[in-house]
Amino acid sequence: MTVNGAGVTASVEPRTHLADFLRESMLLTGTHLGCEHGVCGACTVLIDGAPARACIAFAAACDGVFVTTIEGLEDDPVMARLRAAFTAEHALQCGYCTPGMLVTARDIVLRLPDADEARVRLELAGNLCRCTGYVGIVRAILRVLAEAPAPDVVAPQPLPRATFALPVAEPVVPVLPGGEVLAQRLRIAAPLAAVWAAVQNPALIAECVPGARLTLQDGPNIAGDLALALGPMKARFAGRAEVTFGPGHLAQVRGEGRDALSGTRLTADATVALQADRDATVMELQVRYSLRGPLAQFARSAVVAAFAAEIAETVGKNLAARLTGTAPPVARRMGLGRLVLSVVRRWLFSLLS
Amino acid sequence: MKAASFDLAYPVDLAEATALLARADSRALAGGQSLGPMLNFRLVRPSLLVPIAGLAALRGVEETAQSVTIGACVTHAAIADGLVPDIGLNVLARVAEGIAYRAVRNRGTIGGSLCHADPAADWPTTLTALGADALTSRGRRIPMQNFIRGAFQTALQPGELLVAVAVPKLGAGARWGYVKACRKPGEFAHAMAAVLIDGAVRRAVIGATGGAPQMVGDAMPGGLPGVVLARALAEAG
Repeated sequence: MTVNGAGVTASVEPRTHLADFLRESMLLTGTHLGCEHGVCGACTVLIDGAPARACIAFAAACDGVFVTTIEGLEDDPVMARLRAAFTAEHALQCGYCTPGMLVTARDIVLRLPDADEARVRLELAGNLCRCTGYVGIVRAILRVLAEAPAPDVVAPQPLPRATFALPVAEPVVPVLPGGEVLAQRLRIAAPLAAVWAAVQNPALIAECVPGARLTLQDGPNIAGDLALALGPMKARFAGRAEVTFGPGHLAQVRGEGRDALSGTRLTADATVALQADRDATVMELQVRYSLRGPLAQFARSAVVAAFAAEIAETVGKNLAARLTGTAPPVARRMGLGRLVLSVVRRWLFSLLS
Repeated sequence: MKAASFDLAYPVDLAEATALLARADSRALAGGQSLGPMLNFRLVRPSLLVPIAGLAALRGVEETAQSVTIGACVTHAAIADGLVPDIGLNVLARVAEGIAYRAVRNRGTIGGSLCHADPAADWPTTLTALGADALTSRGRRIPMQNFIRGAFQTALQPGELLVAVAVPKLGAGARWGYVKACRKPGEFAHAMAAVLIDGAVRRAVIGATGGAPQMVGDAMPGGLPGVVLARALAEAG
């Protein structure tokens, strides 16, 4: 790559980001590092002439580019005016954000010669300063904008014309609305008739669900609560549901609950379908649910899916144990450390896929 | 934080890129404005990164009488600067202008944003409302409603790359509204909605949900589910 006009050839680890390369290998420490995830703007440099975050560009992926750091702008006429204005308007205190601020300020002056205060503030939203309250920085940029017209800037390169094949579009299969869908398939070591009878007995089912308590049963209406824990997050959903049974060993549960502690609301619509599989029974469970409120911020769909899979597995084992007369497995409370590990791992993998 | 170790393999063309991306645990790197932070946080730890932003096959634009097709690695800044032909009402440039910050728009790409499929990103919701199609390296043309399958999930198969996005042009008299709620300009939206009224097409799409953008329907909704959608409808007139 070319850094501040000089060609540089180096062998770097792929994971080394551009800001570290500039600071550690090139000793260009004017590029500062704040957040290292592209939010604070302290590391803003020019890549091929345009401002960019050096902390989320990888040096090895910058093969052949032109990098200009704050050091490389020493003799730049616009930067000279900005430095003077920053001094005059007291636009810096500790100086940590200043290199990034100056690179962004130069871009504003060159690209938006007619910018007013509101626009300058909008454009500065990507550079954080913890000292000045931005007042001095905004004034400094406005001063340079008002002083003299910026030199002519090279117009951006037009995009190359291309020809893309446009085949017939695939038919639309929209993702169903109404929340996340969760599907589970369980094999229970008990005959169909016994499992079907159990499914129609909410008290028995509740006993098989760790943390669940049935408080009311009145015809199709049931009420109860369910204690859940996921790492540091704990909740007790209290609510009610309506259970209906159809032909073909099909049960439908519609319910809603609320966690009093966090105020999170849960609505769910579940279908349970049973099918004989020799001496055993296959239970297909499909749940459409939505979470609203504070817990929904953390309980991402993939996390909930992994969590529910663990619960369903335990329920299946407990149910089979009850129906076959063997002692039920330990009715462990959900959300132990073991579970958190598997949930977190699955969540991270799901982000990858 | 610093990213965990990974390998980097520069493909010379699309064929090599798709071959590399067929490898287990590989990930395409376009502008890297979402992937970069996630790598630094070690939320993602691919073993192989395949930089594709330099591939000429992904950087072009095509305009026909019916549509504008944008290469996957065209940046938000290029779209905001009007380097992509207008589909009508300057819609694409207006959306691009509101994405993150200029320093991010200079690197971030339309295709990268779609493939990352963050529910709070601008393109998944707006391109769904515009009825755009994803064109892939396997010759598939996937309607945007099928392409985004959920939070961070797309219809792409391993080794399949998004090549371009075909966006239909708007008819005369079309109306468009797009509103997102952010506490600070440039941050990820907490709520968003886009509305397109174009002849017989009447679409309202709600984004920044826990999953894929939700199409309210090809008919205008009777009620207004939320203040953001209401504002988008108002903007569309």
